[in-house]
Amino acid sequence: MSVLAFWLLFLTGVGAFVAQVQRRVRIIASTTNTFSLDDLGFRVNRFIVDVLLQRKTIVERPAAGIAHAFVFWGFIAFGGYTLTEFLHGLGIVDLTDMAWFQAYRLGLAPFAVVVLGGILFLLIRRAFLRPVALGKTVSAESIVIALFIAALMITYLTGLAFELSPTLAQINWWIHMSVILAFMALIPASKHFHLVLSPITVFLKGKELGALPNLDFEKEEVGLETLKDLGSKIRLDAFTCVECGRCQVNCPAWGAGKELNPKAIILQTQDALLADGQSKKLVDVYTDKVLWQCTTCGACENQCPVGIEHLPLLIGSRRGLVSNGDAPDYLGAMYNQLERRGNIWGLGYDQRQKFVTSAGLETFDPSKHEYLVWLGCAGSFEADYQKSLRALFEILRKQGVTFGVLAKEKCTGDPAKRTGNEYMFQELANQNIEDLKASKAIRILTSCPHCVKTIGADYKRFGYDVEIMHSAEYVAGLLRDVEPGTGNREPGTGNREPVTYHDPCYLGRYAGKHEEPRTLLARFGADIKEPVRNRDNPFCCGAGGGLLFADKEEEPGSRISDVRFGQLQETGAKTVVTACPFCSIMLKGAQASAGPAAAEMQFVDLMTYVNGRLQPRATGG
Amino acid sequence: MILVIAEQRDGKLNRATWETIVGAQQLAGGSTPITVVVPGGKEASGAANDIAAARVKEIVTLEHDSLRGYTPDGFTAALQGAIGELAPAFVLLPHTYQTRDFAPKLAARLDRALITDVTGIKTGSPTSFSRPMFQGKLTADVAPQGPGPHFVTFQIGAYRADQAQRGSSPAPVRAMAAKLDPGAIRQTIEPPFQQAKQAVDLSQAERIVSVGRGIKEQTNIAIAEQLAKAMGAEIAASRPICDSGWLPMERQVGSSGQTVAPKLYLALGISGAIQHLVGMKGSHTVVAINKDPDAPIFEIADYGIVGDLFEIVPAMIEALKS
Repeated sequence: MSVLAFWLLFLTGVGAFVAQVQRRVRIIASTTNTFSLDDLGFRVNRFIVDVLLQRKTIVERPAAGIAHAFVFWGFIAFGGYTLTEFLHGLGIVDLTDMAWFQAYRLGLAPFAVVVLGGILFLLIRRAFLRPVALGKTVSAESIVIALFIAALMITYLTGLAFELSPTLAQINWWIHMSVILAFMALIPASKHFHLVLSPITVFLKGKELGALPNLDFEKEEVGLETLKDLGSKIRLDAFTCVECGRCQVNCPAWGAGKELNPKAIILQTQDALLADGQSKKLVDVYTDKVLWQCTTCGACENQCPVGIEHLPLLIGSRRGLVSNGDAPDYLGAMYNQLERRGNIWGLGYDQRQKFVTSAGLETFDPSKHEYLVWLGCAGSFEADYQKSLRALFEILRKQGVTFGVLAKEKCTGDPAKRTGNEYMFQELANQNIEDLKASKAIRILTSCPHCVKTIGADYKRFGYDVEIMHSAEYVAGLLRDVEPGTGNREPGTGNREPVTYHDPCYLGRYAGKHEEPRTLLARFGADIKEPVRNRDNPFCCGAGGGLLFADKEEEPGSRISDVRFGQLQETGAKTVVTACPFCSIMLKGAQASAGPAAAEMQFVDLMTYVNGRLQPRATGG
Repeated sequence: MILVIAEQRDGKLNRATWETIVGAQQLAGGSTPITVVVPGGKEASGAANDIAAARVKEIVTLEHDSLRGYTPDGFTAALQGAIGELAPAFVLLPHTYQTRDFAPKLAARLDRALITDVTGIKTGSPTSFSRPMFQGKLTADVAPQGPGPHFVTFQIGAYRADQAQRGSSPAPVRAMAAKLDPGAIRQTIEPPFQQAKQAVDLSQAERIVSVGRGIKEQTNIAIAEQLAKAMGAEIAASRPICDSGWLPMERQVGSSGQTVAPKLYLALGISGAIQHLVGMKGSHTVVAINKDPDAPIFEIADYGIVGDLFEIVPAMIEALKS
């Protein structure tokens, strides 16, 4: 009798689970397959670190992260126990009297205690501490789920700790099993679906941050316009979201009071897919305004613990807009400059030539030069940044490194790529690749982190594979054994100079090069005062994704650059070191707007800083 | 005979037509007669009466209800007929957006030479036309070949409208009915796109006095305004000044403000960050006053004064007043 009743309960719970999962699987499977399994070793490694060891969950929020890890590990530990109890309850096979099961059951006790502790902490945090990332309202469903988990542990511990009468033991068992089945019926429609999907999603997430496959114009691909265009990985992402809000609190646009919230983007996708699988336009799902507020800093995608890739969705939607001529006016002007002059400023290339001549640069010749130095749009035209390049040239020359430059360069196409103007990007990329191939360069140096990403990662998709390094990384290696001079400082280590370092997103986060600049700074006399948001999770300067050109009117809230400048000021250091021309432009702009009080802050590029302190001791010692 | 194709909208003549008249008068050298054709609907007569002040032989309004608004098909067909009837040696047009749209089609239809964006005429044998190449790095002298009429479009600003010779009495205006099949016009006209109007349109200013951080205090804006007034210039600023609210946002020049191209751009205490430079690089003559000799603005300036603007500007106002 009780076996039959349990079967009924079991089929109801599992049936509800399967029906809901099936609907979501169909939505994911009914579109272009964008899943990829390349770099398998990397994927396995990340699965171990981020799923099994819960790194991403713990790193940013240690307390909640460890509590979550306890619950997660407890879930795994209880897997065999739950299965055995189901087999027993369904009358299939009773293993509960076996000696190993009794030992296993006993061994679960410490797990149950930590799960209970963990879930009670998370429950209190969600219901009473209410961190902003979790949203304005308390999710009732999350409270129910937490109470369910607590109930499971309590019923387990009760059965273990007390010698219950057979009736009470039966009641206890039924509560435990019913809760599991109710839990199953609840999760597919809730954010707790992540416990099924996130291991898969993390495994399927690509290796490259902000990976944007080329559009194939032969196949008339134009980017994402309607829900129908969303590929399987984006759909899987939408259903995996656990709503933890790490993407939101790390988003510089959200942090500066703009409308963009990466978490909302993912949840809106999920709702839209469930409501209408095909025809709705993406601009009606998110609004175009929000799509243009992304700096492509990559914080959302990089911080996500469940493997969601936001950038292919955000930039893919921009592609859809640009293909229909719906880019904002400021981008139209920039595209014009790119098309007519091949650089974002719309300046004439005679200015680059002037710089090349005055800096005494030779045209790259593989028989004479080890390195090709890529100047970039800023290096070619921006007077301040040219000072930094001159410092780099001095360092290279002093160390006997030979280098040359291309006779002509166009913009790598980064601003076109990140704003969704794929056609323009491919035109620029093809021209540059042709020139780069013809130069026969095999190692490229640049001081622009955006050029590193574009040439190093995006150009690979055209079959152009070259070693490209940011000057910070290269010079850190080059000067490893070079005795620092004192420059203008007094000798001795006692008077290190307080300096703050702003990690460029495309260097610290995308390229993962955040220790090299610090090594250089520390070796050359800096006492680094870290700003909030540093290393592989910096707060963007606000320039990326074409926003260098945005009008203030089009940006609600504060300027991202102003917010970052304030964070750098708070370190107390009066010297800000940067390693990206665009960060430098944005932050100097923020300084100018901040009024006379901010005038004491000094901006120095990393190369200028290092070169200035490479000088021999003034006293000749 | 030289034919000038005028451009008008709602009876209002496009100013660039006067510039083309100057070119036509130079090409004519006082001997060849000039005819101006004004395509349009009934309203074209308004513009025709305006241009009749020029010293030309006659004005012809090329009228048809279907020419009330511009369509490439309508204009090409009507002008093809008019050119056949009038048989000019040259057809001259201002290099406006409208001309850029239909002139190639018209010249190709007649299988005649078209020289665009011309900045000067070298009369002689043969007569050649100068036009910029490679983004203004070179100037090419181009002589048209083949049978006439030859089509020439003049860059806006290549000639000064106020140098057009005017007749002692208005030139005669006659109407010519355009031969046109309205059914053959494939385009339909939509209402013209109106860009959200800026309260201040700096892009049309001939002279601009622009202020940067070097002005130091809000109260000092006044001396820049005095100088602007004395010069008959608009006042503008770099981003920090507008951010501070010292001048309204719509006076901001640069990548996040307006793009300007005045004849004279006077930069007071502007360091010349690249976002500012991109907004004013099209200026004809740039004069910079800055204390810092290393300021990037001097890279782009035609004339630079390294010095204190608080000494220089009052002296300039004084000099301009006397």
